[in-house]
Amino acid sequence: MASARLELTQLGRSRLLLAFTALEALTFLLLVSLFGLTGSRAPTAVVDEDHGPLAASLVGFLRQAHHSFALRSLSAERARSDLTAGRIVAVITIPPGFSAAVAAGGTVALPVDVDNVDVDLTDDIERAVPSALAAFGRAHGFAGIRVVAAERDLIPHDTGFIPYLVVSALALDALVVAGVLGAVAMTREFEAGTLSQWRLAPVASGWLLAGKLAGAAAVSSAAIGVAAIVVFAGYGIAPLHAVTTFAALLLCVAIFTCVGSCVGALLRRSLPVAALFFGLALPLYIDSGALEPERFDGNVIWAIAHASPVYYAVGVLEQAVHGLRVTPEPVSADVAVLVAWAALAAGIASSVVARRAVRS
Amino acid sequence: MSPARQAWALARLDLTVWRRTPWAIAAAVIPPLGMAVLVTVLTWSVTRQPVALVVEGRGPQARVMARIIEADREAYKLTVTDLGRARQLLGRQQVAAVIVVPSTFDQDVAHGSASLDLTLNNVDIDFGDDIRRAVDRSVAEFDAPQLGASLERTGAAQGLVVPNAYRVDVAEHDLRHTTVTYARYQAVPVLILLLVNVGVLGGALLGARDHERRTAAFLGTAPMPRWSVMAGRLAGTALAIGVVAVPAVFALRLTHVVEPPRGHWVPFGALLAVTALLSAGIGVLLGSVVRQSATVALVAVTVSSYLFFLGGGFTTIAFLPAWLRTASLAVPTSYAIDAIRQILFYPDLTGVGRDLLALCAFTAATTAGGVYALRRVEP
Repeated sequence: MASARLELTQLGRSRLLLAFTALEALTFLLLVSLFGLTGSRAPTAVVDEDHGPLAASLVGFLRQAHHSFALRSLSAERARSDLTAGRIVAVITIPPGFSAAVAAGGTVALPVDVDNVDVDLTDDIERAVPSALAAFGRAHGFAGIRVVAAERDLIPHDTGFIPYLVVSALALDALVVAGVLGAVAMTREFEAGTLSQWRLAPVASGWLLAGKLAGAAAVSSAAIGVAAIVVFAGYGIAPLHAVTTFAALLLCVAIFTCVGSCVGALLRRSLPVAALFFGLALPLYIDSGALEPERFDGNVIWAIAHASPVYYAVGVLEQAVHGLRVTPEPVSADVAVLVAWAALAAGIASSVVARRAVRS
Repeated sequence: MSPARQAWALARLDLTVWRRTPWAIAAAVIPPLGMAVLVTVLTWSVTRQPVALVVEGRGPQARVMARIIEADREAYKLTVTDLGRARQLLGRQQVAAVIVVPSTFDQDVAHGSASLDLTLNNVDIDFGDDIRRAVDRSVAEFDAPQLGASLERTGAAQGLVVPNAYRVDVAEHDLRHTTVTYARYQAVPVLILLLVNVGVLGGALLGARDHERRTAAFLGTAPMPRWSVMAGRLAGTALAIGVVAVPAVFALRLTHVVEPPRGHWVPFGALLAVTALLSAGIGVLLGSVVRQSATVALVAVTVSSYLFFLGGGFTTIAFLPAWLRTASLAVPTSYAIDAIRQILFYPDLTGVGRDLLALCAFTAATTAGGVYALRRVEP
């Protein structure tokens, strides 16, 4: 308890560290939100030179084409200049006479100008336009359409990309915030040379370590709490299982504080801690089912993902908040692995600390 | 000793100090490396989606439908199997969707009422919509081959419109002669992140170190003008960036990630040099504010990440809301990332001059700020 209080006091004196650690939690939310915005709704100009009812109908179907386009009605000149300047990725031009020709049963060429600098964006456009045309043709009952797609979803509701991403970002926040504070709690002892004093304490070094980590975890919980409030209030995401979500976040903080202490004990320097957690966080995040269930990326990547605690944390949090099962393993197994991670990390940190305390 | 030689001496000293701080080098290099790994992993995630195809129909039309789906290798990572195994794969998350060509497909086609059954694990709309779009296109291709993957960019674009059931043909015109892979498009800005991270962290760390070791007071009493101190620190940090960036560019050149068109090497070099100076300037400014080495890394990494993400690294500015697009105008790295994409991916240099001018203006502002900050912190 005294060790926890001391840790809290020391953290209280490092206000800049606390401020930037909390900011880091919000940074990752912003980061994934920015990424989420680029995952759908390609900014696209529609130039309607027809102004007929079927042209308007086609624009409606383009707008509804599976979140593919953020359509802007522009003049041909403005659309061209915006496309050249990289402000939009495509221009769809509905030519004059479109409605009359289509109503008469003719086939009309629909010019689509694409800024094909990025093949991924180009592929999206090349799939989305035929998708909208298919819906347009079916809706108007054009003769000769013989096949339609009949979709059945496994989950009764769709989950938006950003709501999905920001929930997994909470696991990343826990890793970075709790990891950095847990690591700094250890490196401070090494850098200040106070580790030797641990030998004079009337309790085992494991208790002192537990106290320090409890203090760091308490501060991390507050930072993650702020991030969670932003996610639930700011993004309007209502967790399906509020208590489980709360417990899962606390569990993540506890586990990643232990992982941080392990890293801090091994590094013994504060300088690389933040960069290391930030640098590791990004690939760990992507390879943890943060964008989609990791199994979809193939067996190799899925197998690698099992080496990351974030994989299990994302599995638990997505289940708790959205009710989504994103790991083939049951959630109870995810929780068990996370607890094992915490025990292993705390064990390593404790062992390093005990050995260093004796040496110094 | 002339002020220029004094500045050069300080630059060499700073470079030596930086080189003897391996943890600082590691801290500066790890985030860009992490970002490079992220981009690589993301390349596998965002392109093709794993889908199981079950062909229960035995007639010629069912085979045509199956061939259309099998041919779209850009969209599907396909497993052709039976219904029982497809359901197992879906349950184990080995596929994201199951497409079934039903046993009555041929008869239904003859009646004009066939359907392709899609069972989708719609965990989130990103990959779910990718599959929906791809299936819609496959379905459309059945009655209108020119709308499909195999005939895109042909036909109507050359003025040849073939009548089809949907009554619309797509005439696609590509703006560029080059098409850059997702990995390359996203990897190039990581080079900017490397420059920014090394510069901001290096400059800030040298400043913080001066405070911790009280050498700032020594510099303040040294018989050299403030601008000379600032120039020396900028040059030292820029040299440190060069030590990391030159081998990185060389490696990226060997792997064909950095492959400027003819005549673009000079603007490419100029862009990297100005970005290095800008990053060093921001680092020196930070170093005069954050005076603890322990906190410097966290602050510098946070600042660098904001500069990178709000500058359009890893994102595309055009996709962002209007207010963010406006805000990005005040983010100097947006000009660097914009320019590096233009220089490397496009045959012309449209807008590069403007971007370089903007970067020079930001560099001048941070340098002036650095001179002012040095004056404030010295005794």
